[in-house]
Amino acid sequence: MISRRALELATAVLTGGFGVSVVVSSLDNGIGWSSAGVDAGTFPFLTGIIIVLGSLYNLVRGVLPVASLANVPIAITPIELRRLAGLFVPAAIFVAAIPLAGMYVASSLYVFAVLAIPRHQSVPRALAMAAATALALYVVFERMFQVSLPHGALAAALGF
Amino acid sequence: MDNLSELLHGFTIAVTVPHLVLMVVGVLLGILVGVLPGLGAPNGVSLLLPLTFGMQPVSAIILLSSMYWGALFGGSVTSILFNIPGEPSSVATTFDGYPMARDGRPTTALATAFGSAAFGALIGVILITFLASWVAQVALAFGPAEYFAVYFLAFASFVGMGGAAPIKTVVALAIGFAIAAIGIDTVSGSVRLTMGVDELVKGVSFVVAVMGLFGIGELLVAVEEEFHARAVSSKIDWREVFRAVGRLPRHGVALLRSAAIGCWMGITPGGPTAASFMSYGIARRFSRRGRYFGTGEVEGIISPETADHAAGTSALLPMLSLGIPGSATAAVMMGGLMIWGLNPGPMLFVDQKDFVWGLIASMYVGNIVAVALVLLTVPVFAALMRIPFVVIAPLIVIICVVGAYSVSNSYLDVVMMLGFGIVGYLFKKLFYPLAPLVLAIVIGDKAEDAFRQSMLMSKGSLGIFFANKLVTCLIMAGIALLLLPLVLQLARLWRKPASPATETTAQEKVII
Repeated sequence: MISRRALELATAVLTGGFGVSVVVSSLDNGIGWSSAGVDAGTFPFLTGIIIVLGSLYNLVRGVLPVASLANVPIAITPIELRRLAGLFVPAAIFVAAIPLAGMYVASSLYVFAVLAIPRHQSVPRALAMAAATALALYVVFERMFQVSLPHGALAAALGF
Repeated sequence: MDNLSELLHGFTIAVTVPHLVLMVVGVLLGILVGVLPGLGAPNGVSLLLPLTFGMQPVSAIILLSSMYWGALFGGSVTSILFNIPGEPSSVATTFDGYPMARDGRPTTALATAFGSAAFGALIGVILITFLASWVAQVALAFGPAEYFAVYFLAFASFVGMGGAAPIKTVVALAIGFAIAAIGIDTVSGSVRLTMGVDELVKGVSFVVAVMGLFGIGELLVAVEEEFHARAVSSKIDWREVFRAVGRLPRHGVALLRSAAIGCWMGITPGGPTAASFMSYGIARRFSRRGRYFGTGEVEGIISPETADHAAGTSALLPMLSLGIPGSATAAVMMGGLMIWGLNPGPMLFVDQKDFVWGLIASMYVGNIVAVALVLLTVPVFAALMRIPFVVIAPLIVIICVVGAYSVSNSYLDVVMMLGFGIVGYLFKKLFYPLAPLVLAIVIGDKAEDAFRQSMLMSKGSLGIFFANKLVTCLIMAGIALLLLPLVLQLARLWRKPASPATETTAQEKVII
């Protein structure tokens, strides 16, 4: 169970962290005024500062017991969290598998896995959909629009 | 009338067989992405973008804009029939559209929605026809300082009128700017904000951000609440369609008011979502039948729909004449314009007359095509909604992954897209606005260039932003909009000193 407050805090920390890294990294490019005009780092530096300050404000607002936030104490229930993970974790594994297995194999495995393993569809139907996905990707991208999708390290090793 | 003859010339470009075919294809694809939760107009348009690189710019923009109209209409179909908004901008349509459909009047609800949507779009297009070239003419005299002031005004209006919590909007905007700055700086040529990752030198494409923020993010929001697509009957009774449209003029005041709200929010970039909520809220307050809102009131459908489409259409006005998109989708289209080698802004009206007027003419035709097609295809797309979400979700994930990859054949883009997905989910969940973020990614560089050029001209003095009446007015208006939420807050505190500060915005209240 994740409370709205925890979610607000986590997001503010996330945006604030991004802001800090922008500020630090922009210092490399120089901030301020030089003979060539405004230095390259100035604009990112300012936006970074704004992000940090805004995140701090959101952080404080998230901590303070504000009436409206108290009305929605729970942002994500355990069931919802399980559903989120059920979508995101397979998707992340799919993305992680692309460099090795290539887009076609990875996407058909992905479709097969999410349909067949939780028994949403029968195995033959899931197989058919997985094959159709790979085929559709191949026809649309490789053939029609001449966009080469990654074939993966496995395919390269096999000599494709 | 110069504009009218230009418009007629535009019609000769737009009304040709290939372009009509493109409109039909675009509208159908648009309805598809509008109907599917997790796919919306911004990522639908960015998905199509790589496929338009080989086309004439005018054909490409007709395809993309038709998709936009289709998506706007498609979003309302699911709102009314399933109580599931297919697009964020059609959330307000569910409040009265679904109750009316559930009462056994789905045709009335759909026809009312489409009729008023078409009216809103028409007002938006008429506005563009007569105002866009004039605005462009004024803008031709702009220097860098004026440009920066206009950008500033656009960003400030998101903060002042976007409807989300102001500081959250500021943070979203600033993150967009920072993302836009990643990569090679166009002025000095130095590499910025790559944080040691060499692949980031090419920058972060807005397409990658849109795929993640709107695609994966929306998918995560959708999967969280396992909805059951309990459709009401999706059969269309054609006689009732005409009767419902015939009854629309009785609500003339609501139509005109909503169209005005929509146009205003579209031009000043508040965006269609904010426009539809605002219009619904105002209609509920001013309608004599206001207390019946939420039970299937006709004006409860008319108001958000008219404003939604008026805003969606007029969002293209500042994009064409100033180079500032008025909505997330318009921002994506403007990114397309730049990729096709066009320079969005006033020079378009001088150099690319065929493009501009072809597009404007196609907006008239495209919306008619969209109304006809959406009515004809309601049963088909309603059937699509009965496909279980678990089957559609992985397909949308794959589409987003391939879409992100195909931008520049980079695996890092895919990983970043997934990261943007988490950010999109968190932002949606906590009511951070996404449109300003995308807008800042697309035009961040241009705003920065304008700022640095004006600084060069003035040798580092901020006085250049107060050098003449025009630029002073723009900057002052921007500052006023930035301070507007603060002033409202103070006024509320002053009136009711004891009341606890609330952070919920109008939209949040409605959603909660």
